[in-house]
Amino acid sequence: MPLTRVLVAEDDPDIQTVIRLSLRMKGVKQIVITENGEDCLAQVKTVNPDVILLDVMMPRLDGYQTCERLKANPETQNIPVIFLTAKAQQFEVKKGMATGALGYLTKPFDPMTLHDQIVTLLDQKGTP
Amino acid sequence: MSDHGPISTEALHSQVLESFLSGILGVDWENRIVYLNQALASRLGVQSADWIGKPVEGLGGIIEPRLTHAEAFRSGLIWQHEAETFKSREVEFVEAERVLHFREDSYPLRDPSGAIHGRLFVYTDISRAKAIDRMKTEFLAIASHELRTPMTSIKGSIDLILSGFAGDISGETHELLDIAQKGCDRLVRLINDILDLSKIEAGQIKLKLAPMDITEVVHISMRGVKSLADQSKVSLRLYHPEHLPEVEVDKDRMVQVVTNLLSNAIKFSPADSEVRVEIQTGDGWIECCVGDQGCGIAPEDAGRVFGKFQQFGEKKKGGTGLGLAITQALVLEHRGKIWLESRVNEGSKFIFRLPLGKG
Repeated sequence: MPLTRVLVAEDDPDIQTVIRLSLRMKGVKQIVITENGEDCLAQVKTVNPDVILLDVMMPRLDGYQTCERLKANPETQNIPVIFLTAKAQQFEVKKGMATGALGYLTKPFDPMTLHDQIVTLLDQKGTP
Repeated sequence: MSDHGPISTEALHSQVLESFLSGILGVDWENRIVYLNQALASRLGVQSADWIGKPVEGLGGIIEPRLTHAEAFRSGLIWQHEAETFKSREVEFVEAERVLHFREDSYPLRDPSGAIHGRLFVYTDISRAKAIDRMKTEFLAIASHELRTPMTSIKGSIDLILSGFAGDISGETHELLDIAQKGCDRLVRLINDILDLSKIEAGQIKLKLAPMDITEVVHISMRGVKSLADQSKVSLRLYHPEHLPEVEVDKDRMVQVVTNLLSNAIKFSPADSEVRVEIQTGDGWIECCVGDQGCGIAPEDAGRVFGKFQQFGEKKKGGTGLGLAITQALVLEHRGKIWLESRVNEGSKFIFRLPLGKG
């Protein structure tokens, strides 16, 4: 199933651009970029995304806390969350997955396959 | 000049022991204290002379309330049953509300005839080394994160330009961007390898040991390097006896070991040659040999192949220079050993041996 709407929380403007272009190249129509976890939570109901991509190290509210809040809220708990982060150590992956995320992708990622990796993760879980 | 005569050997030994910063405790077969040096006595707030000949349990009563794992410490004091062997372990000791780390080395206490009379315990404060190690690991984790972020922008941008998504590019531009892309990929591998090696060296990886058929590990590794072998026109062969015992390994880590050895062997192999993996087993061990028909390694270089950032041969082979250091560290973590047998112009064999049965 094709991705239509993706909500991204990423504080680095250059990486925001790479993510946006990478997903647009594969035909994703709506890519909403937010700068931190708080803005992501504020946008989630409006965007109603197929998937949320979360960085971990962000100002105001980090990725782990953001995912925990998304999963604690009945209105957002079913939206799949995938971490996209430079925190690549095993204990960090475990910590991220323990927050209820669907997947954990590490930086640097391959912009040519990012879309397909997201779709594979969503398909494995039978969503969207 | 002094008028005094030469110092006796006994007095000299005594002064040497008393001047040690490490704590030293000697205990006989009946668990009586036969020696307690100044460093340990001061640390425990006791006078050494008051304790000579007394049961060690009394001293244990002073030590144990200050240990973070008192029960483990007490069980370690049952030295009579293992009196022949050297033992080493770490002990955490609380002093002024700080947890200090000590290494406890214990040895059989022997008389001049070699007969064992008890046990000698040496306590060395390793708190500073531990703290430095922790800081090094933290630094590497932060450095790794901080390097990955700009690498993501650089690699992502190059990959997107090369895909043609941002418009057509000339052949020369493509060639130059290819070079930049390869450099990025190499930097990423380097960051991963540095982090991996530092974690293994700091004892921070926990092996998930499970009994396995080693040939399965080799098959997985061979599949992983197949495209590299095909590109290099090198064939891969596995030879092994029909029946092999299972060996306790961490599957992913052992695949990493064999993959590293295979990649190296392929990189140093001439076209149309063969890389052979041979499995052997013997009394309590299993051995895996990865051999190539490449240029070999000169005897004067053989001693440093497992060192960090070592490169051999005339051409750079695109590795990070950490592969064999990681390979060796992982084999050692499996209680195994690894070595090289090589002849110039005939090829190299990297052989690792793992113990069978639980450690």
